Amino acid sequence: MHDKWLAERIDRRTFLGAAAAVGGTTMLGSILAACGASGGATGRATVDTWDWWVSQSPWVEHELKRFEQAHGNIYVKRTVNATSSYDKLFTLAQRSNSAPDVFMITTTTVPLNEQVQKGWLLPLDRWATSSWRRRFPPYSFVEGINMFGGKVYTVPFTRPAPWLQLYINNKVFKDAGLTNADGSVMVPKTWDDVTRAAEVITKKGNGNTYGLGFGNGSFPILPWWVEVFVRPAGSPGGSMGPDLRTGKYTFGSDRNYLDFAELLLSWNRKGYFFPSSVSISDEIARAYFERGKFGMTIGGVWNQAEWTQHGFTDYTLTTLVGPSEKRAGYFYSSPGGSLMAVNSQTKHADQAWAWFDWFYGLQAGKSWVQEYNEDLSVHPQNNDPHKIHFRPFAEYVAMESLAIPGPGASIRNPAQAYVVVNPVQPDLGTILTGIYTGQIKGVQAAFMDLDERLQSALEQGVKQAQQQGHKVSLDDYVFPGWDITKPYRWSIPEYP
Amino acid sequence: MTVQASSRLSGRPGEAPKRRASIWHQVRTNRWSYAYIAPFLVLVIVFTIYPIFASLGYTLYQWNGVGNPTQYVGLQNFERVVRDSIFWQAFGHTLLYATVLVPVQLLLALALALVLNDRRLRFSTFYRAVYFVPAITSAAIIGVVFQLMLSNFGDTFGQVLVRLQLVQHRIDWLGDPHAVLWIIITIGIWNTLGYNLVYFLAGLQTIPAELYEAARIDGAGAMGRFRHVTIPGLREVGLIILFLAILGSLQVFDLVQVLTGGGPYYASEVVNTYIYHQAFGAGSFGGGGGAAAQPNVGFASAASFFYGLLLLVITALQALAWRWVRHRRSGDSGMAVATGRPR
Repeated sequence: MHDKWLAERIDRRTFLGAAAAVGGTTMLGSILAACGASGGATGRATVDTWDWWVSQSPWVEHELKRFEQAHGNIYVKRTVNATSSYDKLFTLAQRSNSAPDVFMITTTTVPLNEQVQKGWLLPLDRWATSSWRRRFPPYSFVEGINMFGGKVYTVPFTRPAPWLQLYINNKVFKDAGLTNADGSVMVPKTWDDVTRAAEVITKKGNGNTYGLGFGNGSFPILPWWVEVFVRPAGSPGGSMGPDLRTGKYTFGSDRNYLDFAELLLSWNRKGYFFPSSVSISDEIARAYFERGKFGMTIGGVWNQAEWTQHGFTDYTLTTLVGPSEKRAGYFYSSPGGSLMAVNSQTKHADQAWAWFDWFYGLQAGKSWVQEYNEDLSVHPQNNDPHKIHFRPFAEYVAMESLAIPGPGASIRNPAQAYVVVNPVQPDLGTILTGIYTGQIKGVQAAFMDLDERLQSALEQGVKQAQQQGHKVSLDDYVFPGWDITKPYRWSIPEYP
Repeated sequence: MTVQASSRLSGRPGEAPKRRASIWHQVRTNRWSYAYIAPFLVLVIVFTIYPIFASLGYTLYQWNGVGNPTQYVGLQNFERVVRDSIFWQAFGHTLLYATVLVPVQLLLALALALVLNDRRLRFSTFYRAVYFVPAITSAAIIGVVFQLMLSNFGDTFGQVLVRLQLVQHRIDWLGDPHAVLWIIITIGIWNTLGYNLVYFLAGLQTIPAELYEAARIDGAGAMGRFRHVTIPGLREVGLIILFLAILGSLQVFDLVQVLTGGGPYYASEVVNTYIYHQAFGAGSFGGGGGAAAQPNVGFASAASFFYGLLLLVITALQALAWRWVRHRRSGDSGMAVATGRPR
């Protein structure tokens, strides 16, 4: 009955007419909305911004709110992308001329100097005057790193710090009896300390709690373990670069890497690791650590904000845990740095700069460190551990001295920016995964092979840059007199 | 003999040969058929044929996919693919996937189709729907769900197995290089079983019921009817199903990419994930370190092209094998007629 009534009342013409009206209204609404968004009718400009910060989102949102209160005529439309796909999305956006006005820099596919050459980034000198630059500490602006052809394209956002730490779940340690006389947890200081703690936790955990854990599922994470455990043994290349004392990759020739690989294998053989560590993602590993599934893990300061949101604060941290208590190597910092940039094709350059300037401002940095406990600020006055109330974060801030200035080929020779070294496959992370799972038996042979491939890729990169007319050499990578235990003195001007 | 020759020339015996219609006339006569296939044809040209030829040029460059390729490397990319042990390992995994998945899945699909084709079975439509649901679910979604079940949230599942004493220690199913490919194969079998089930059901329904009736009257039992009625009746459609299943399984990608990203240490890398990692660089998902490389679209194009050639060879071998089987069968049939053996 109802259907018949409907059929009688709504014939095809009526239906099409109604549909057209609805469609037209919707489209008109969209057009008006779009006009409003781009500032056509109301004069309010929309600045698109892209980043990949998830755990840092509360701080970004807070700053966006403050920014919009101060700039009523600018609306910042933020898009948070997945870290793993950001590089692909950004590259595709550039190819299709749809990149956002302001964006976090990614250099996986296209190195920064190449992005500048392609004209993707807007030179900021119009606003980034000499006095503006002086707001930042010395060595913040470096030719070949964040300046190209004398023009500023981006700015560092944080101060150098040990970017990875060993996190300790206090409850797991206390349950296993790993405490000092004063009731505080026994923070491991050496490889042997970690082994002992892992052994006790795993035994007492009875299949429910393990000593160690990580999440290798989203990307190979074991190089992070190399950073924390091998650097202090006196291997300045860590998981990434060549040993700049010789300019050579030393994974196969430096005994520290082999020793650590054997240690990793022994921990695995003895069952100290959480069983699903190879396949779970880093995010899940963090959640499991929080729930006390394992007592120790390696991560960055970005973990802290997430754990705080979840109400998990009962943990301790340390870093650079070597074979002995005396550290023979550190994290090494470079001058300059980069995070955000402005799109050269933006139609709202002044508004995009306004957001950029706010983002890098002293006040934003203060709330970044002291209110949201995200990381160190590029402005040193914000990084006072006494002004930080959250103990684990204060511990992190106090570690700043463990990242000391180190040499760099691109600091010595800005033309090194034109050297593109293609990554090799399998890389260190993949090889470490193979070692951990037992798929690679000959560890030293695998490391030696990696050294050869990396060295060859570096030589190839230098050769290609030379063929393009750039004055670069493999000697740029050699600093024979470098004492890796002392801060390196850069021979560049504090402010160019 | 003379009659045969003349009928071959004229079409039908005694019919005068017709003038061949022009192509334009044929198109006009069958315009609706052409109109229906046109959109599909356009899509195939744009998204399949064109990219094949367009990517051929990229095979000669080292190129990260941004801007125009400038670094000419000649045939180096092909040389690297052929010498790359990881490519051949991935190829081996792909073959293993196809070799195990296809027979197991087809046997299961046929058995289920026989059960579901029984008119006496109640709620058969419901069962058909149940078995077909995984097939219409995206492989990527299935990958995500299984990843969560087996790995990210698989902690509880692992503990249950230990408590039941089915395993001694918790197993990292997707992180164990010996188990991971078999898990992917098992999920793959479950995922696309529905398609083959429906194909077999359709094939079964084309077999006239009278044939079964006649076989029954002749005293054939269930196995006899299956052997002498069902199998010959499914032979033609079965070949198509087999062909599609082999080609489909050689194209496996999304399930592996989402579940393990080809890891750990290439233990589940198949050719399509290998190509993907080369083309789109780092960002291996799941399983830990399937691959990590800067995008190299030129190399990926070469790998893709080379794999295409390998698939062509495999397909040609398949076609030759079937031709040989058919030839033998027709030979046997001829022999059977000549010797009076029942067919």
